[in-house]
Amino acid sequence: MNALTPIQRDRGLQRLRRLTFGATAGALVAVVGVGYVAAASYAGKTSSSSTALSTTPSTTTTTNSSSTSSSNGLQAPTQAPTTGSSGSGTVTSGGS
Amino acid sequence: MTVALKSWKALGTSVHVLATDAGALGRATTAVSEVLEDVDTAYSRFRQDSELSRLNANPGRVVRVSPLLATAIDAAQRAARLTDGAVDPTIGQAIRVAGYDDDFSRVAAQGGPVTLRTWRVPGWKAIGFDRRSRVVFLPDGVELDLGSTGKALAADLAARAALNAAGAGGVLVSLGGDIATAGTPPPGGWRIHVAEDSRARPDAEGEVICLTSGGVATSSTTVRRWTRGTAVLHHIIDPETGLPTTGPFRTVTVAAATCLDANIASTAAIVRGETAIDWLMRRNLPARLVENDGTIHYIGRWPDPSGVAA
Repeated sequence: MNALTPIQRDRGLQRLRRLTFGATAGALVAVVGVGYVAAASYAGKTSSSSTALSTTPSTTTTTNSSSTSSSNGLQAPTQAPTTGSSGSGTVTSGGS
Repeated sequence: MTVALKSWKALGTSVHVLATDAGALGRATTAVSEVLEDVDTAYSRFRQDSELSRLNANPGRVVRVSPLLATAIDAAQRAARLTDGAVDPTIGQAIRVAGYDDDFSRVAAQGGPVTLRTWRVPGWKAIGFDRRSRVVFLPDGVELDLGSTGKALAADLAARAALNAAGAGGVLVSLGGDIATAGTPPPGGWRIHVAEDSRARPDAEGEVICLTSGGVATSSTTVRRWTRGTAVLHHIIDPETGLPTTGPFRTVTVAAATCLDANIASTAAIVRGETAIDWLMRRNLPARLVENDGTIHYIGRWPDPSGVAA
């Protein structure tokens, strides 16, 4: 095997440095990319247990989103009450 | 058409069940009784062994509650959210300190002076609650009272259960004047006498309305009152002060799609005071408000009482 000249050795080292940099940058991009996909796929999962016990307003959000049927506003009657007169079957609405 | 009626006492108040099918009244009342027993076990503030009492007695701990109590807490939080905190379930300590610390039949009408201080109640956002898992966490100092929304919710649940048991027709359930209906009403609608006190006889002089669906609730500072020293107290607490309300309206009756919504609105109106009329009108809720001096206001689609005499 022939010995490398200093110029050949320097070129080899430069190539090696470029390869190392490229591999590191590629790995970094891959980590960020996979992390983003994972976060999007499992959004909210990691916070569900802690949110349930939280006493901050974020708890409110959890409660609201888990009971959409109860998040509506106050509902007026479908038909307005009409005037009537007392008779059998009349009940009283009053304070109690 | 005549409707069949059964009355009794439960939850410290009067219960009336009406059914358009007299033959179904027995099944309907049995269903209502079962719902009220479940309610008493789940969220009575006056039973040491109720789930709510145990929850209040264990602040700082994570507790998984029954579906019924979870539903009641959910309803109470919804009430607080929709009223900007005017109807708040964390008034438990405030109402107890004011003297309402037992079933009202056992609360002394008169007693020595009590020391009351103005303080904002902890507020509904202090409650850690996850509806899906039914897990509740009450921080130290937070005590729940579901009395305001709890009774109305019970009326709605009972009416639904009664209709299921009856199988057809229509039913009306009244719990101390909080009224829920389900199914087909009698011709002309359910007849409801509107008064300040639910103990008023239905045939007493006053206004009567007819309702074809939904519910009606009345909140009043003229009932459930007691005296401590020289102070006359009542059961509707203003969450901003932790004290009985002192607003311009003594009685408010509201009609809504459910008894729960009617109760939320009537209680909020008492607490909101001066802004109540505008607040009710913006929600298109028919309402009747009685000022402390007796002046009556009719809001939205509430029927014109002059039509009775016409």
